[in-house]
Amino acid sequence: LCSPGDREGGVGTKSDETDEELLQAVAQRDREALRLLYERHAPWLVPRLARRCADPGIVEEVVQDTFVAVWKGARRYRGQGDVAAWIWGIGIRRLIDRLRRRSSHIPMPLERSATVVSAEDEVLLGVEHGDLGAALGRLSPELRAVIQATALDGLTTKEAARLLDIPQGTVKTRLMRARRELREALA
Amino acid sequence: MTTTWHADEGLLSGYSHGELDDVRASSLEAHLLGCGRCRELLASAADRTSLDRMWSGISETVDAPQAGLVERALVGLGVREHVARLLAATPSLRLSWFLAEAVALGFAVWAANEAVGGVREDLAMLMFLVIAALLPVAGVAAAYGPGVDPAYDIGRASPMQSLRLLLIRAVAVLGASALIASLGAVALPSLDWRFGAWLLPSLALTLASLALSTYVLPLTAAGLVTFVWLLVAAIATTSSGDRFIVFRGTGQTVFVLVVAVSALVIAQRRDVFEQGGRR
Repeated sequence: LCSPGDREGGVGTKSDETDEELLQAVAQRDREALRLLYERHAPWLVPRLARRCADPGIVEEVVQDTFVAVWKGARRYRGQGDVAAWIWGIGIRRLIDRLRRRSSHIPMPLERSATVVSAEDEVLLGVEHGDLGAALGRLSPELRAVIQATALDGLTTKEAARLLDIPQGTVKTRLMRARRELREALA
Repeated sequence: MTTTWHADEGLLSGYSHGELDDVRASSLEAHLLGCGRCRELLASAADRTSLDRMWSGISETVDAPQAGLVERALVGLGVREHVARLLAATPSLRLSWFLAEAVALGFAVWAANEAVGGVREDLAMLMFLVIAALLPVAGVAAAYGPGVDPAYDIGRASPMQSLRLLLIRAVAVLGASALIASLGAVALPSLDWRFGAWLLPSLALTLASLALSTYVLPLTAAGLVTFVWLLVAAIATTSSGDRFIVFRGTGQTVFVLVVAVSALVIAQRRDVFEQGGRR
């Protein structure tokens, strides 16, 4: 069983401190605390960003930017939700900033493998999203990308437009269509 | 989110290799945000080399000293970063130094304005010119060398030539001092030829003290130049009827000579700067 602020030890971290405590220490300019936070959170941040940007070089830069931002802005965390979610919010916005500065970026291919939902996956989807998972699986890749960027990544339509490299209006219309399809599927 | 479900290694490995389809990957991401245990499992299989490489970049940035206002402004103006850092570390390019310069000149300007039209105005003007010519000398003397420069060792260790660094700083100090002196001159009661008469003397005196500092310590060199300058100015002013004799044609010609000779000495003895100057 685990919940936000779970005590976690082991792997690369000798500390029992929670993420919130570490973040407070980082705000007090504790380098070791930043290192521990990095060891805990960089390993999931890397693949999650890599799923949204095909260039590994950019992903590395964004991860570095993110933890430098955590170092500078640890004070701004006010205990609102998971530290992981807070870090993700920084990371995805850094990624969008970085992509915007490049003249053109190659957005991720929307589909990487055929969507064959096995029985095992159904369980996972059922656990995490209920029937929503199955409904999401039936959305077209374009609509799913928009839902992922807004509902799951927590981006505004403007930010999602930058990430996906499509006009903001398109994001809005696709989002409406996706919501309608999901509603129908879940009805 | 409280859940008894956890991802297994196969799923996590599929995820980190980008092999999961969108729906499974998205739902795993949602789970990871709230589950420390699965994050830890993912971390245990992460690519150490890449993580360590990224961390060294982060710790470099985090450990770098915070760029001050001056340094950031310089970088904003297009000055390269390492030059900006060395410039910003120049003691005589600090605000306190400029304030001291402004006060010294301000006093002369005030005196000149107090005594408009009289002999004392001339004396105050003379004082203004003499001080304005001296400001960069003091500024440059305080801009480098052991004892006054907190970045002395950094400067010595930097791949940049010491002489080049010194000249960059001298130019910066000269420019800043000239700006302050010009502002002061605008506030003088009479705007005539004397407005810029200190410009060439200040350049000559600065170069002379730099040239002299290849023989003695920078501060000693600056002191000597200041002393000689004040002495010459006093003698020339009192012995001739013209108070501003040192700033007129003949005087300016002498300063051109001083500039030339000093530049020659600096070029000839540039090795001394590379060896850390005379001790």
